[in-house]
Amino acid sequence: METKHFKLFALLLFLTISFNSVKAEDLRKIVSLSGSWRFSIGDDSKWASPSYDDSGWDQISVPGKWEDQGYNDYNGYAWYRKSFRMNDIPLNTSIYLMLGRIDDADEVFLNGREIGKSGKFPPDFKTAYDRVRKYIIPADYLKKDGENLISVKVYDSYLEGGIVEGPAGIFIDEDNELLNLNLSGKWKFQTGDNKGWKFPDYNDEGWASIEVPSVWENQGYEDYDGYGWYRLKFTLPQDFTTGELYLSLGKIDDIDDVYLNGEHIGNVYDLRKDFGYRNSGGEYNVRRIYKIHEGLLKRNGLNIIAVRVYDGQGLGGIYEGPIGIMSAENARRYKNKHHNDNGYNSFWEYMYDKFFGNDNSNND
Amino acid sequence: MRATLSKNKKRILSISLIICLLNLSGRMFASDENLVRLQGLEGKWQFSIGMKEEWTSPKFNDSSWESIRVPSPWEDQGYNGYNGYAFYRKKITISSKYKDRMLYLNMGYIDDVDEVYFNGNKIGSTGSFPPNYSTAYNAERVYYIPEDYINFDGSNQIAVKVYDAEQQGGIVSGDIGLYGGRNSVNLDVNLQSTWRFQPGDDPRRKEVDFNDSGWSEIFVPGKWEDQGYRDYDGYAWYRKSFVFKTTNGTEKMVLLMGKIDDIDQVYINGTFVGSTGTFPSRRGEEASTGQEYQAFRGYYIPDGLLKKDQKNIIAVRVLDTSGDGGIYEGPVGLITQTKYIEYWRKIKKDGN
Repeated sequence: METKHFKLFALLLFLTISFNSVKAEDLRKIVSLSGSWRFSIGDDSKWASPSYDDSGWDQISVPGKWEDQGYNDYNGYAWYRKSFRMNDIPLNTSIYLMLGRIDDADEVFLNGREIGKSGKFPPDFKTAYDRVRKYIIPADYLKKDGENLISVKVYDSYLEGGIVEGPAGIFIDEDNELLNLNLSGKWKFQTGDNKGWKFPDYNDEGWASIEVPSVWENQGYEDYDGYGWYRLKFTLPQDFTTGELYLSLGKIDDIDDVYLNGEHIGNVYDLRKDFGYRNSGGEYNVRRIYKIHEGLLKRNGLNIIAVRVYDGQGLGGIYEGPIGIMSAENARRYKNKHHNDNGYNSFWEYMYDKFFGNDNSNND
Repeated sequence: MRATLSKNKKRILSISLIICLLNLSGRMFASDENLVRLQGLEGKWQFSIGMKEEWTSPKFNDSSWESIRVPSPWEDQGYNGYNGYAFYRKKITISSKYKDRMLYLNMGYIDDVDEVYFNGNKIGSTGSFPPNYSTAYNAERVYYIPEDYINFDGSNQIAVKVYDAEQQGGIVSGDIGLYGGRNSVNLDVNLQSTWRFQPGDDPRRKEVDFNDSGWSEIFVPGKWEDQGYRDYDGYAWYRKSFVFKTTNGTEKMVLLMGKIDDIDQVYINGTFVGSTGTFPSRRGEEASTGQEYQAFRGYYIPDGLLKKDQKNIIAVRVLDTSGDGGIYEGPVGLITQTKYIEYWRKIKKDGN
């Protein structure tokens, strides 16, 4: 009896620990942005620009609320600026700017160009204080030689304000090394739902441009819940790997239908047995990887991906990589790597499913 | 705001504790700042019963007036049985070394109603004079003195108009004196003065052409409980017109609204400028408020909204869910963004 209890206890402990550890994303920090930043209260659109001289500004420590750093009682706008150098700009990967938690709303610029925003400034103020800021950096916005400038406009309504909690830095997604063709970057995006949008010859020129992967809330769709469609045109490089291929779309919040060249190649529910999906409510956490049927991908000429996404509430969209095409071998490595974190929000969800779920595919 | 509550539960707890302690320890300063006593103003003041407009002026010669001891009920000093209006006057020299901090006049407890003038400028009022008489004998009077009213290193005239309805009257008790607070704000447009005020709620009240001539008057800053609206909780609107001079420049301006109990929405010329707290979205819905009353308001005014050399209208919608209500603490006024940045840099430097 006692041994049995101990075993159960040990198992519970182990599972709890392992679940906590696999929740962390596979991001690797390449530049730290913690420490001293230039800081000024107030608001001026010129402050986004690299040519603005901020040498007269105050300095502030990031992360950390400004109330603890001499600005007790301050509410309203403030700007943060920080320069950094990158000797090597990583290719073929997704580069993220992480700023942790910002209280309440923010808009972020890299070398004067906007890369994302969260919450809303007045007059339609909306807080996003509990959201971790993770913005995708378009690689061509980065300067290889010389200074790069991050400028962050922050609005705090009241109580604590600023870039209050880390991590702050530039990160890359290591999973992207498993991509044979990286398809992250600018896609076309349209809110709403229309069956015709899956067809390859549909004209999406009027659609908005959006960074993939990133929650659409970061890209100007702050309050949006419901349907949205993503489309991307791409060509395969010459001598692209042959054999069985997979399309990876990272994580999508909440539900997807994926079309390649007009043909439906899968949705989250197809991943039930194969990779991850367990129970309703956990869709957003499932790693999307869909087999591409032989002959569907054009070796020469344009291929078109169309992804129909439905987001019920909260954050939405194709929000985490890797995004692209994998060989069977890489897809297998990717699956094995994330074997433990397939689709459960928490350890308890996993236990619930183990005991009460009707899926037996894991009992091999 | 449910979300904000959860993020600061600890702070709420400690603040509720402080509030409990404050309530236990009796009345404290109207302001929650740490005010430092700079010079006492107890002792002999010039005194006259009656009321004349010119007695508020620094030019008026009060040398023939009697002198009276402050603080003390006038009944104890030869005016036994007197009820009605009276004036207190005193000259004060303020050192320029106090120039960089906000200065407050503490007039203690006045029985029943008062109006205080500094160099002829009204700086505060508590209670309500007849015909809408309302006593505020148990409120401590702490009034902010706007910097531009002060003649540093020279003579300054304080004039206090008092109305007593019954029993003892006058400046009866308290730690009368000049007090220093946090660093001063050098306002470009000082809006600490008499505003139009009306309880109730109506979205039309934000409009420029709304007719507020039937509204009553209230002094800002100052809680409405002390100005004739005892025990009033709920919605109220404030309106104030002011001229924004071209000499104020073309810079981005910030509207300081000090502290408001509990939540507010501010409009300039009919356009929404800023808000603290979340108003109920539907009629009859209960508002949830927490620490909003402690937030220091500084609203950045959208470019082009202020009309130069013309009348501008500020309208403030306030909802007080319980206890004290209204725009209760300054500074209230407009300041350029550059000066506002300097102000905060100085606060940081001085560790204030």
